[in-house]
Amino acid sequence: MLVRFWGTRGSLPVARPALAIQGKIARALVAASGQTFADEDAAHGWAQENLPFHTYGSYGGASSCVEIEGGDGAFVVCDMGSGLREFGIDAARRCKEGHPRVYHFFMSHLHWDHIMGFPFFGPAFDPGAEIIIHSGHPDAEEALRRQQEEISFPVPFDWLRAKFTFLTHKPGDTFEAAGLKVSITGQYHSHDSYGYRFEKNGRSVIYSTDSEHKLDNMDAEEAFHAFFASGDLVICDTMYSLGDTVSLKQDWGHSSNVVAIDLCHAAGARRLALFHHEPTYSDRDIQQMHAESIRYEELVRADRPPLEVICAYDGLEVRV
Amino acid sequence: MDLQWQVSVENGRVVGAPAGRVDETTWEAFTEHLTAAVREAAAAGANLVVDLSRLDYMSSRGLRALTIARREAGDAVPITLAAPNPRMREILAISRYDKLFVIADSVHGDA
Repeated sequence: MLVRFWGTRGSLPVARPALAIQGKIARALVAASGQTFADEDAAHGWAQENLPFHTYGSYGGASSCVEIEGGDGAFVVCDMGSGLREFGIDAARRCKEGHPRVYHFFMSHLHWDHIMGFPFFGPAFDPGAEIIIHSGHPDAEEALRRQQEEISFPVPFDWLRAKFTFLTHKPGDTFEAAGLKVSITGQYHSHDSYGYRFEKNGRSVIYSTDSEHKLDNMDAEEAFHAFFASGDLVICDTMYSLGDTVSLKQDWGHSSNVVAIDLCHAAGARRLALFHHEPTYSDRDIQQMHAESIRYEELVRADRPPLEVICAYDGLEVRV
Repeated sequence: MDLQWQVSVENGRVVGAPAGRVDETTWEAFTEHLTAAVREAAAAGANLVVDLSRLDYMSSRGLRALTIARREAGDAVPITLAAPNPRMREILAISRYDKLFVIADSVHGDA
């Protein structure tokens, strides 16, 4: 399977202001002092090797949208955050090259940051497209229709030309979709959220965002050990520090890097992707959180095999 | 690995001393010991010191047990985490628990 991240930010899309970009350029110029480059390719090569990601790159700012390739050829997409717009543009390009115009969406939940990309999803206007929306919420269609009402958006849902099917699944269900074995589990979040486990040919990808692991219900984490079991890639909500989730941001419905690592350790997962980044975090903040997460994994690993901790960013591709 | 726990009263303070590690296999025992120590301190009108000097490390389960203990203690029983080893100091910093609890260099020190 190939996992492609189109949006990795939590709660609200963000764009770096000019001052942040200027800071990156200034830091790069200082670091490159004395260097000469024959061309842009040489400069790229040097920058990639010598500059931190927060200077040479960016984690991006689109909200949750993750594509999984490797099923029966249909598109498989988790959530419809603002990253969906870019996915839709790329999907249209691929369809022109012969890709089937079938889309399976898997909704973690229906909060705004997870559906806001849908009104800008070009393939929804394609009369030849088939769009199947899987959700744990029976009100998924209502949420998408309401978002298209005139008070919020000028194009009503009924003007969309694709063929839509809404499928509601119960927590604990396992079903086949787009050539993948899919399992769904309930998560703690306002109006509930759902995690998905995708499996094919002995490989597994787990998408578990907007999931708070409650302090007073740690026994419930056994179920997540099972859901994440031996996961090749576990994409987890790591929006806050653990300290925040038990104090100021308790009951905000999110988790921490530290809890995600512990769950993956107990589950025997192989790789964790930090995801749903706090919108107030700068690129430097996210990179520091990533470094701290890698260190925490080492500190509590004990005699377990290493868990690889990666940090999702808009545009990242991970082969599983 | 098993978790050991000793409790004592020193200079009017209840001192709970875990040894070993707190993870997904030992957190329940740690929580029980910690809650009992909070109640003992409350009954005695004493502070509670958690002596971390013999603790290898704790994962998020142990950290969250500390928060549960803090809630049980309320304002009546101030809780201090004392003498963490370098590994525990890093864990407290990464989790930002160093912003939630008073960390003392030694069991006998203030901070």
